[in-house]
Amino acid sequence: MVPTIDGVMHHFENVGIYDGLFVMQDTESKTLWNHISGEAMYGPHVGKTLGPIGNLLQLDVQEALAVDPGMEVAISDRPYAGRSSVPGQGTLSADAELIGMFIETLGEEDNRRPRMDMGLGVWTDASRRYYPMEEIRARGALIDRLDDRDIVVFIEARSATPTAIFVDSDSATIEGNEIRLDSGAVIRAGVLFDAQGNRQAREQPQQIFTRWYGYILTFPGAEVFGQ
Amino acid sequence: MRMTPRLLAAIVGLSLAGSVAGQQGRPVELPDGPSKPGFDIERFGGAGGGFFETFYVEATQPLQQALDDGIVSEDMRVMVTEVATGKLALVTSQMAYHHIAQGTAGGKDWMATF
Repeated sequence: MVPTIDGVMHHFENVGIYDGLFVMQDTESKTLWNHISGEAMYGPHVGKTLGPIGNLLQLDVQEALAVDPGMEVAISDRPYAGRSSVPGQGTLSADAELIGMFIETLGEEDNRRPRMDMGLGVWTDASRRYYPMEEIRARGALIDRLDDRDIVVFIEARSATPTAIFVDSDSATIEGNEIRLDSGAVIRAGVLFDAQGNRQAREQPQQIFTRWYGYILTFPGAEVFGQ
Repeated sequence: MRMTPRLLAAIVGLSLAGSVAGQQGRPVELPDGPSKPGFDIERFGGAGGGFFETFYVEATQPLQQALDDGIVSEDMRVMVTEVATGKLALVTSQMAYHHIAQGTAGGKDWMATF
C-alpha cells in the first residue's frame, strides 16, 4: 500500500476490529481503513484507497532468497523466533474458533464455506475468487483462468503457504518439489523458469492467505473455486 | 443491546482479559463520518486498539548478509513486499506484533499490513 494521501505521508496504527479483521486508522485524519483492500471505510477520506495495493507474500528465508537473491530485510527491535508461524494460521483447522470480541463485529456471513476455513483469496479489478486449501491440496497444483489469463495455484513446499502465479499453461503437475507446466515451464523453489530454463519474472495477482470470513466479508459475492 | 463504538472502545479493556482482543483497548477517537456504503460503524469494536506498535522502517540490510551473519535462519518465515527499490522481507513473528510496517524507499512511501 501507499500511505500517502493528497501528497502527504500519513501514519497508521491498528485501532480495533471490524468484520473480525483489524482496522487501521491514520493518526492525522482519524479515518478508518481496511487493511486488506486499503479502502477508507469511515471518516473524511472515504472514497480513497491506499493504492496501488501490493502483495505481502509469505515465504521462508530460503524461498525468499531464491525468488530474489538481492532482497533486503528490515528487522525491528522486537524479539523474534527462528521459525515463526502466523498467528491465527498456525493451525489450518476449520474447527478453530473465533473469539467473541471478533464475532460481534462480523457482518452477515456467507455460509458457502465454514467461517474459519483457510484459503487463498485472489482479487483483481474484475475478479474475486477464493481457493479453499482443501481444493488446492486435493489437486496438488491447479490451473485456472483469471481475467482471461492462466494462473497456477499451488502450495509452496517450504513455507506451506498457497500462492497464485500468472502462467501460460493448460495443465500443471507436481514432481517432487517442482511444479511442471505443459508449456515446458517449471516452478522450482518458488522461481519460474521457462522451457529453455531461463528465469522468468514471477507475476502474481493480488492475493492473501486468510480465513474465509475475512476474505468474503472484504469481497462479498466473490467466487469460490470448485463450487 | 448494541453499544455505540465509542462506549465499546472505552470499556473493552475492562471487560476482557487474555487474548489479543482482550488487550486493553485504548479509546479510539473517531471522526463524525462519513461511512463507505455498507460500512456500519456500530459494528466497529475497539479491542486491541493501541496494543500493536507500527514498525517505522528506517534501515534495511541484504537478506543474504543477514543469513550469513546468523541474524536470520533459512527456515525463518518472512513476509515479502515490493518497495520502490526492490523486494523487502519483514520477519513474520515481528509483524505479528506490529501488524503494520511503513517507510520510504527510493523516495516513495510504502506500507505493508498484516
